[in-house]
Amino acid sequence: MRTLVKLEIARTLRNRKFMFFTVVYPSVLFLLIAGSADADDRVPGTRLSMPLYYMVAMASFGALTAGLMGNGERIAKEREGGWTRQLRLTPLPGRGYVGAKIAVGAVATLPSIVIVFVVAAVAKGVRLDAAWEWPALTAAIWAGSLVFAALGVAIGYLASGDAVRPLTMIIYFGLSILGGLWMPTTSYPRWLENIGDYLPTHAYTALGQAIELGGAPHAKDVALLVGYLAVFAGGAAWLYRKDTRKA
Amino acid sequence: MTATTAVSAPGTGAAATGAPPPVVRFEKVNKAYGSVRAVTDLDLTLYPGETVALLGPNGAGKSSSLDLLLGLRHPDSGRVEVFGTTPRQAIVRGRVGAMLQSGCLMEEVTVRELVGLACDLHPKGHPVDEVLERAGITEIASRKVNKLSGGQEQRVRFAFATAGASDLIVLDEPTTGMDVSSRQTFWGAIREQAKQGRTILFATHYLEEADAVADRVIVLHRGRVLADGSSAEIKAMAGARRISFELDGPVDETALRALPALTGIEISGRTVRIRSTDADATVHAVYGLGLYPHGLEVTGLGLEQAFLAITDAAAAVEESAR
Repeated sequence: MRTLVKLEIARTLRNRKFMFFTVVYPSVLFLLIAGSADADDRVPGTRLSMPLYYMVAMASFGALTAGLMGNGERIAKEREGGWTRQLRLTPLPGRGYVGAKIAVGAVATLPSIVIVFVVAAVAKGVRLDAAWEWPALTAAIWAGSLVFAALGVAIGYLASGDAVRPLTMIIYFGLSILGGLWMPTTSYPRWLENIGDYLPTHAYTALGQAIELGGAPHAKDVALLVGYLAVFAGGAAWLYRKDTRKA
Repeated sequence: MTATTAVSAPGTGAAATGAPPPVVRFEKVNKAYGSVRAVTDLDLTLYPGETVALLGPNGAGKSSSLDLLLGLRHPDSGRVEVFGTTPRQAIVRGRVGAMLQSGCLMEEVTVRELVGLACDLHPKGHPVDEVLERAGITEIASRKVNKLSGGQEQRVRFAFATAGASDLIVLDEPTTGMDVSSRQTFWGAIREQAKQGRTILFATHYLEEADAVADRVIVLHRGRVLADGSSAEIKAMAGARRISFELDGPVDETALRALPALTGIEISGRTVRIRSTDADATVHAVYGLGLYPHGLEVTGLGLEQAFLAITDAAAAVEESAR
């Protein structure tokens, strides 16, 4: 099983195009969106500066993109191509496959998070109150991205062929917008904000925001994310087994 | 009746001893995709050490049967047992190695990495170098898997299937895309596996392969077993010997037509061509008539014609039954 994880990671790192976009895209988006924001602009209802807010939002968004898009499409392609069929003729358990795919997502997202931070600090002069907040933020955003890597695996098993891209897109934009990755949910109507509060993306950004404000992540957000991770990973493993039946 | 009744015991006679527990058992297995019946009431038993060819045209149910055997599909009714358990359990225990007909391999990894993965996943995995060597892919071990020729890819698949000490090796049309010489090498490797006591089951529509490699041939047609026996028996069933000779004197057509084991005769001038299910008996009878045939030739029909004859007969029976 370790061999599978190592192989999956090696082939992802060899995929230069995928790695390039995964790593660079969030930083570019950060510069585009936060470009006009002033360091003194505050997010309504909080004491966070806009550039700081967008730094965490874009790092999270990039990690989400890598996990969701990378896994979903690749798995659907592998299923269609027949590779997973061949893999099912080995003693590899379903959780091994899902675990390896989540590990791949994790490897691809770490550099993208770090680069957004570097770009934000250098180009927009973003500063945090304490030095420990940088590694803490990195760790929180990285760990949280596993949820979306797991969701990507599930989508890869849920949809196939032409359906996988639109489905990924809908989930991707839905989660990003409603969860407040692109703009603070405080600017939404009340009922939409309430829905947003329970989305994994919202809990995910809240994780980062709590640290930005110098505190520990809220237990509710952590619990939400762990719950979503369990649901998505469990769902993916279940779909893997079901796919065995249907093939 | 179909030809199934004509050959009773499996070719190796393993069934006759009754001692070894079967490797694979299909009991009244049915599988349909929508309205298309892929496998109908399939009963099938494989015994340890057999090399069995599953023979049939496209759509005969070969791949479906193998998918059922490997747990990639589940039967609508009936039972599939592998080593006395479910296909999945047999695979988890490392008792089955399988090679599918098509399907991509993992992309952007080298041959060695991929085969290494199979060795690692197998509970009784062999060393990678050994597996590469046996599959004849040591030279291409550092190549990317997605940059191989069709034949090379098949050999990589074979390596994947033989990465561990499995007791049953299942191959679905393994030589597709191979040239003649790599086919020979490939079957050499398969015979090597069989020599080590492994049970081999392969699907093919390369009929000469079934003839040359298998010690038991199962002919599938429209999801049913049409015939089951040694390739010699299968050929015999379809009148599978061609006898030709020339006669000096006058040709007595009536006497020739009355020859034993005859399934067809063609007389042109003094040349006689006969199809016979028992060439020995037919030739003996020719001499018995007091004839002196010149240039006597007895040739096998090859499984191809034998097989065509059997499936044609079955189709005719089905037609007349309607």
